Amino acid sequence: MFSFTIRSFFQKLVTLFFISVISFLMIYLAPGKPSQIDPLNPKFTPEDLIKFQKEFNLDKPLHVQYYLYYKNLLTGQSKSWKDNQPVLGKIFERFMNSLWLFIVGTLITWCLSFPVGMNSAIKRGSFFDRSSTFLAYVLISIPGFFFAYILIIFVVQTFNIPVIGMRTFGMTQADYIYQIMDKAWHLVLPSILGALGGIAFLSRYVRAQMLEVIHQDYIRTARSKGLSADIVYYKHGLRNALLPFVTMFGLILPGLIGGSVIIESIFAWPGMGRMFFEAIMARDYPIVLTLNFVGAVLVLIGTFISDILYMVVDPRIRL
Amino acid sequence: MLTKRILILLPIIIFMILLQSFFWVPTYDEQVRGNPHRLEEFITASIGDAKILNPILNADSASSAIVEPVFDGLIDRDENLRFRGRLAESWTIYEEAYIYVNPQATMNGKTITLPTAVRELILNEKKKMKDPGSPLVDTLNNIKGIEIIPSHKGEKEITIPGPDKNKDGFPDPQKINVRFNAPPRLKITLNNVDQDFFQNIERILGKGYFDTFPSEDFIEILTEGQEETLSTVAPLVIPVTEHNPVIIFNLRKGVKFHDGHEFDAGDVQFTYEAIMNPKNLSPRVPDYEPIKKLEVLDNHTVKIVYKRLYQPAFGTWGMGILPEHLLNSEALRIEAEQKGEAPDEFSMRNVDFNRRPVGTGPFVFREWKSDQYIVMDRNEDYWEGAPNYKSYTYRVVPDLLTQEMEFYGGAIDNYGVQPHQVARLKKDSRYQNFSGLSFGYTYVGYNMRRELFKDKRVRKALGMAIDTDKIIRYVMFGQAERITGPFVKQTDYYDKSIQPLPFDPEGALKLLNEAGWKRNADGWLEKDGKRFAFTLMTNGGNDIRKSVLAIAQDSWKKIGIDVKTNIVEWTVFIGKHVNKGNFDALILGWSMGIDPDLYQIWHSSQTNENQLNFVGFHNEKADDLIIKIRQEYDYEKQVAYCNQLHRIIADEQPYTFLYVGKWTAVLDKKIVIKEYAESGEERIRKITPTKTGSYTFYFNKWIKLAQDPVFEME
Amino acid sequence: MNNQDIKELHQGLSEEVSRFTESWRIFKKNRMALWGLVIFIVFFVVAVSGLFLTGGDTPILDPAKVRLSEKLLKPLTPVDSEMINPEDWPIFGIYLLGTDDLGRDVFARMMQGAWVSLTVGFVAVGISVLIGIILGGIAGYYGTLRIKFMDVLWLILFSVSLIFLASGQNDLAMNSFLITILLILFSSIYYVLSAKGRVNVSVVKLLFFNTFTVDTLIMRFVDIMLCFPTFFLILTIIAILPPSIYNIMIVIGLTSWMGTTRFVRAEFLTLREQDFVSSARVMGISDLSIIFRHMIPNAIAPVLVSATIGIAGAILTEAGLSFLGIGVPPPHATWGNIFSDGKRFLFDAPWLTVIPGLTILVVVLSFNLFGEGLRDALNPKLRKR
Repeated sequence: MFSFTIRSFFQKLVTLFFISVISFLMIYLAPGKPSQIDPLNPKFTPEDLIKFQKEFNLDKPLHVQYYLYYKNLLTGQSKSWKDNQPVLGKIFERFMNSLWLFIVGTLITWCLSFPVGMNSAIKRGSFFDRSSTFLAYVLISIPGFFFAYILIIFVVQTFNIPVIGMRTFGMTQADYIYQIMDKAWHLVLPSILGALGGIAFLSRYVRAQMLEVIHQDYIRTARSKGLSADIVYYKHGLRNALLPFVTMFGLILPGLIGGSVIIESIFAWPGMGRMFFEAIMARDYPIVLTLNFVGAVLVLIGTFISDILYMVVDPRIRL
Repeated sequence: MLTKRILILLPIIIFMILLQSFFWVPTYDEQVRGNPHRLEEFITASIGDAKILNPILNADSASSAIVEPVFDGLIDRDENLRFRGRLAESWTIYEEAYIYVNPQATMNGKTITLPTAVRELILNEKKKMKDPGSPLVDTLNNIKGIEIIPSHKGEKEITIPGPDKNKDGFPDPQKINVRFNAPPRLKITLNNVDQDFFQNIERILGKGYFDTFPSEDFIEILTEGQEETLSTVAPLVIPVTEHNPVIIFNLRKGVKFHDGHEFDAGDVQFTYEAIMNPKNLSPRVPDYEPIKKLEVLDNHTVKIVYKRLYQPAFGTWGMGILPEHLLNSEALRIEAEQKGEAPDEFSMRNVDFNRRPVGTGPFVFREWKSDQYIVMDRNEDYWEGAPNYKSYTYRVVPDLLTQEMEFYGGAIDNYGVQPHQVARLKKDSRYQNFSGLSFGYTYVGYNMRRELFKDKRVRKALGMAIDTDKIIRYVMFGQAERITGPFVKQTDYYDKSIQPLPFDPEGALKLLNEAGWKRNADGWLEKDGKRFAFTLMTNGGNDIRKSVLAIAQDSWKKIGIDVKTNIVEWTVFIGKHVNKGNFDALILGWSMGIDPDLYQIWHSSQTNENQLNFVGFHNEKADDLIIKIRQEYDYEKQVAYCNQLHRIIADEQPYTFLYVGKWTAVLDKKIVIKEYAESGEERIRKITPTKTGSYTFYFNKWIKLAQDPVFEME
Repeated sequence: MNNQDIKELHQGLSEEVSRFTESWRIFKKNRMALWGLVIFIVFFVVAVSGLFLTGGDTPILDPAKVRLSEKLLKPLTPVDSEMINPEDWPIFGIYLLGTDDLGRDVFARMMQGAWVSLTVGFVAVGISVLIGIILGGIAGYYGTLRIKFMDVLWLILFSVSLIFLASGQNDLAMNSFLITILLILFSSIYYVLSAKGRVNVSVVKLLFFNTFTVDTLIMRFVDIMLCFPTFFLILTIIAILPPSIYNIMIVIGLTSWMGTTRFVRAEFLTLREQDFVSSARVMGISDLSIIFRHMIPNAIAPVLVSATIGIAGAILTEAGLSFLGIGVPPPHATWGNIFSDGKRFLFDAPWLTVIPGLTILVVVLSFNLFGEGLRDALNPKLRKR
């Protein structure tokens, strides 16, 4: 176990290094300049442009910029180009916002997918199976923005209630309980969207996996022994089907960053996905690079966790 | 089975908890639910975030919207668009006019060289003038006093346009050193600014008094090799006449900045110096450049002397006044040290003040969360009385649809209605709505340097062929009005009696026939064997202009004109076509302030590359009026000149003036104006727009009620 | 042998059916998948006819004709015959799906968009499948080959020179290219000589020691690519490149080959150990022939499935990109464009959003159902026992 950890750690460091180089190159070699040094921007004089270039280190050769950028990142000094605020601070703030959505969405998704998928597998071909399969497909196929807008129009027109953002405005002096409830309400629509999509997707996998497991001999034996269906499937069957989900579980971590740019844009949720999109459009390089980097780190941590969990869950596996 | 139960129940419980929050959340009708303070808060939205909250540095509309309630200027405009005092209680405007004594002038055969003699001459005339009606009477009565400035010598550096051009096509400035020996000068203090003063005085002093003044005799060029510039430089160093308008502001006493520090004249002086400080790169510099000197006479009086006549300068004092004690060089140095930056490079553009402004206005800045919101609180000690609203929140909502949805939900108090929605929202009884005309207009501009458009009749005919009413009805959904001239329609400067061009294709054809254009065999108009053809351009990214383009092309095709269209990306459009005069005709718009100074757009000197008179309009009478307008400090006279100018431009048709857009806003019906009668009793009345269409004029008196208001019968 | 004999030989054995018929039989039973296939065919027909009906100078269905007096009309509104010239009339004289804010016929635009969606889907997936098969095949078949150190060296140098080239430092680029070529020459000479057994200098042999395997190299590359969240990757690249329909297709293709690679590699790994492959090798059939004629047809099943689902995903992605404003630029009308243009009029003209949204839903759904049905049909484990 220990040697595996060390080996894995070093391998991941190397991967991280490559990722940092690749993402750096992608951004810096791209056409289009940050708006502050865009010569077509009428608001800044040529002296301003030169000043910004110097400030952003854009006049130095590439490898120097690479070094400087990562030095800034690791010492926490990196500043966004748009409003000169520290990058890590901005990212952390948005991270906390995304976190709520992520937690609620993930909880609901992972909890509900299993019963739904398993029931589908157990009662294969039944009405439940066919309708939940169909529904799952519809939910996977519907464009996220379309679904979001339909929900929004319905709720807004029927109830005249605010749904956008993290909280209703103007509530800063309300009683605490009302503020909490308000934040809870604003979580509802976006997390429904995320959860429904997630359940649709995940329950298909659960069903597929369970189908494989159910036809094994030991299940038939257990059933014929007289054990209740629930115990057989949930205790014995699920455990054996768990393997691929364990891997998947580790990989949901980067979903924090991915969030969904589209959902966050529609609901004006100040999360990391939207920040990434806006930073790219404005060519705010420090933010884009940092987010890429953080994303990569999360993925690598996620894979690491998956590998460990994998070994824990299945004693047959030796990595 | 425990696992199963947990897996199913846990998410359902979580979801139920979330769902029941629905009953706790305020809706449009129940905005007070759990939050009684909502009524005291005004929430508005904008598409963009503010950039810099400093009145001398900001350049975008979002920043301006925040700067306005936080800062006060010396003056602003009242509901009739006339100036009213804010931080200035009152003001006087007068003039100091300067005349150099001309050593070569003769009067009745005698030369009068002594300044005292000239002075006596003028004062005597003044005493003599008894009969009113003679123009000189007003001029002479205007004279308050005459001082003599003795001659003196000195050296000076002066900047003139040089022979080389910089990359924008403008001449590079050139510095010349001169030594001068100025003759004695008369300083004549006038009660009112009079732009015709020198013409009139010349009648007394003798014709040609000013023309024969030999400025060059008093100058010596010191810079080597620049002796030929003498004739250009001399009148700049020793101008025979000079207008120096003076404004004296009497400032209000007892006004405090939001941090408690008292406001005084030093802050006004500081604001001016900060604007002119090159390190700050303020975009306002051109507005304050005509200032010769700004003096603090005492703690509450400021005297501003201008280098030349420039009436729009007065309006610039609506500029927010900065607190000197927070931004002076000492404060800047301390802040630079705290941040570890080099003090030399640290200017007002880098200070934290720009994100946490302090002014004297009705609202005090509280917090700015980037891209999310800016909050301001009521200034309890506001000199005019605290506003009714306790707080003012400015939300950043980049998407119009989102703004609309938040408005329906009661989380935003107002919403700028788009043209296609006006019909639906005006009918909706849940909201109150207001409309008005924007400040600006859309037009078709013709390049008058090109042969095709030189004839006035042709331009007029082109205008008559377009059915502008159709454009307004279909493209603007009826949310626009015809406009006939270059002034803001709501002001007096705009002559409302001038009728817009009628839609008359037949009449247009007749005019074109008169101008020599006849239909040929293919149906196209032809003159001297050449077909009437040109290209109409506009910029991309604007659906409305695209539609207008299509309609114009189609209308002109119907009367036999072959028009090709071209849509170009904005920067290319401006850089390669507009700025270089490289176009036949184009569709563009202007958005403007109330000020009637049209020099940059219509004066014939502004027809070079990169200048704004890109259609090449050249009319002497118009030039004359334009100069008069910008130098006239008397309102009635200025209005008269403007109306005349309007008439000339409408007659010449250098543009086909199309329309001015109408804006509509909807507001939460529960917002009303709350006033206090003398008896102290509270009275509520409906918000009504002012004469000029602005509905936010009495914003400080607004408040929101918990239910729909019921108004007493008036 | 003649037919009579063959029949006799096969007596008593179960009926011989081709793989295709067998799969089709299973597929038919899945009603939803069948519907998916039907809609897929309909979509295909519509898209192709859309290309012809809306293309050219005077199309039958004109998606670009602006009729300013007919803005924002509801579906099934007849055309205002007085205001509009007959040549600008929509087909049948009514606006089947209404008009947008420029008076354009929504029906015509949807038809044009169908073709774009189809192209984007197929080309993007085509690219990703191609890359996937190649990389996965190499990793699976040649997986245990070890790369020599020297080769790693010149590979790195090559990438470095590309970077120098891209960042404009041309002289440095020239130098590193030269060194790269030298190294390649060197190693080719080495391979030729060592094949003949002529290399004895141990130092030189050291330079060619074994490093990691081809399999590791390719899989690590896949891992690195997987580390970038797909949508972000696409966003980054699209926002940076100039917008064009081709860029979008290529980018989507270049970011979704990872799954296929894994499938193909897994299949190849299993297949490689099977008897028919070893016997082919013994018979002396060339590697390429083995790969293309024997292994790929057997490995194709998961690829087909993931391709079908991939097309659905590509269409959704393109719609999402258009919605965010960085999708296929005008003049092409895509369903995502129509939706995002119509978003402004959500409360005033809901058909502008509902129609494209529903259409995307139906088409993507059909692809997904079809793909799933395909997976079930081709999956040997689900065959009747």
